[in-house]
Amino acid sequence: MAGDVVLWMLALLIVLILLGTHIGIALAVCSAVGVWIMLGSMEAALSILSNTAYEAIRKDVFAVIPLFVLMGDFISRSGAAADLYRICDRTLKRLPGRLAIATIAGNTVFAAVTGVSIASAAAFSRIAYPEMKKVGYKQTFALGAVAGSACLGMLIPPSVLLIVWAILTEMSVGALFVAGIIPGILLAVLFAGYVIISAIMKPSIAPLLEQETAEATPAELRSELTGGIGILGLILLVIGGIWLGVFTPTEAAGFGALGALVIGILKGMRFKEIKQSLYQAGRTTAPIMFLLITAQMYSRLVALGGGVNYIQDLFLGAELSPLMITLIMMVIWILLGMLIDSVSIILLTVPIFAPLAMSIGLDPIAFAIFGILMIEAGLLTPPFGLLVYTVKGSVTDDTATLTKIFAGSVPYFLLIILAAVIVINIPELATWLPEVMLR
Amino acid sequence: MTGLSAADLQIKLARWLHITSAIWTMGLTALIFFDVTGRGLLSSPIPGTKEIIQNSVVCITFLQIPLAIYSGSMLRTTVFIDKLPPAGRKWLRIAVNLLGFFVFIGMVWATYPSYLDAYDIGEYEGEGALRVPTWPVRGLVLLMSGLTTLAYLTMIILDIRNKLIDGVEARGALDEASAHEGERETA
Repeated sequence: MAGDVVLWMLALLIVLILLGTHIGIALAVCSAVGVWIMLGSMEAALSILSNTAYEAIRKDVFAVIPLFVLMGDFISRSGAAADLYRICDRTLKRLPGRLAIATIAGNTVFAAVTGVSIASAAAFSRIAYPEMKKVGYKQTFALGAVAGSACLGMLIPPSVLLIVWAILTEMSVGALFVAGIIPGILLAVLFAGYVIISAIMKPSIAPLLEQETAEATPAELRSELTGGIGILGLILLVIGGIWLGVFTPTEAAGFGALGALVIGILKGMRFKEIKQSLYQAGRTTAPIMFLLITAQMYSRLVALGGGVNYIQDLFLGAELSPLMITLIMMVIWILLGMLIDSVSIILLTVPIFAPLAMSIGLDPIAFAIFGILMIEAGLLTPPFGLLVYTVKGSVTDDTATLTKIFAGSVPYFLLIILAAVIVINIPELATWLPEVMLR
Repeated sequence: MTGLSAADLQIKLARWLHITSAIWTMGLTALIFFDVTGRGLLSSPIPGTKEIIQNSVVCITFLQIPLAIYSGSMLRTTVFIDKLPPAGRKWLRIAVNLLGFFVFIGMVWATYPSYLDAYDIGEYEGEGALRVPTWPVRGLVLLMSGLTTLAYLTMIILDIRNKLIDGVEARGALDEASAHEGERETA
């Protein structure tokens, strides 16, 4: 009976979300109604709302979300991403598809100072795409590089998705951060390999550019030096600090936000830009935090109804092989990725999928990286691929249609799936660094 | 006209609360900085840092919720709603905002007694030297839930009067620097 209520509420949840209800509100409604049906008490239903609102995020680890988002916003607004892009461009010299590779390399490093892929997609749409277009890169190829490589932002720490995943499964945020590094680099190498091979096979899609995108004037070099050293310093401070155990993730996030502010000021941010950053960071943070609260309301309902066991029994009772279960989870993630944002997907699926994965013998850390890759892949798929829309909204080129961006992203989508499959088959890629760190 | 100016007032308040929470977040970075450097260099961390951060997270989040609603930032999907004709879209939006309105009414209704209790009995948490009363944070959650209820209601009214930008954003909720300056010039 209780298990049935959980399933009914899950159905109601899906309907409400599809109708366009704020996802947090949909979660709250379903939890309250579910508890009401189960316990027959309106009082109990509402007190779950109120208790969770007060209790759910009262832990210091939750402070990492506003702080890392703030750090990322300062850095995005400081113009350091453009420095990064031009440094990569200068370093790569005569590589085929150099500008696309610089986009990927720039994104890899930029990912280490921002927690959301949308920030990277917006920044590189404005910085890298116009350069590629000027040189005559094939439009879909250039757009795909921008949208696809932005996915690195969610895998390379600090990443909001890794934080939310760690909080939900009660894993260490630090360990999961470190676990994302090697798979993130693997993905970047796969992306770069694809660009080089396509540029060699079909040179017309990425014409060779003789000179550098920005002339090496003293002012330009000074700007690149400030941005480059600043970002490098910030990475060492944040990831190095967590790695060496100097900082808890919360402390690293606090220092990161301060460091990013210093870089921003050095790069010419003034009161107005700082205010805009603070403002925008709040707009990104509040909906995520609200979701975290309401998702815990929902997980209380699921726990009350024994929902996890119920759904697990459904899967295991059907005598599906571990491979089939993994495939089903992959398909659900990709389908959800077409409809809703990544944080919501994690909140809806991970409380059920993570125990399921462990019961079929998957490593929790490798499974987390696998899941985040699959969910990121959904950001590139129509009709709702969030990154594609971000690129569309950020490029000032009307001929760059959604269709072209989606088309250009297909190879990246496939490579992300490939990376996910590699990680789940070689879990050491994800687990090795955290083990070394904890030793 | 009075309804509209009340809406403007609320959006201004929401913006102000949002800025407050932003400054609060910056305050946290300073707190963390002094706590860690104090611990590392002088081996004297700031007592109660953990408790302050815990409670701050709740406050910062709730202070930001009203503006998240006015600015249309709440996460949702538009896959289905985009397929509807404009009138259908509008009524579905109103229905959806009504749900938000009811959820937050429920929050107010259920939070009020726990706030009163916490205040009356002087509920504390934490041990040793640093005991933090719980009523201020509970009170803030209560107050912000109330304002969020109003925010949903205001969005519904603005939507019915066709005053929303793209149906999801209230005018004046976003910090478009240029638009804002333009406002000031005409005002």
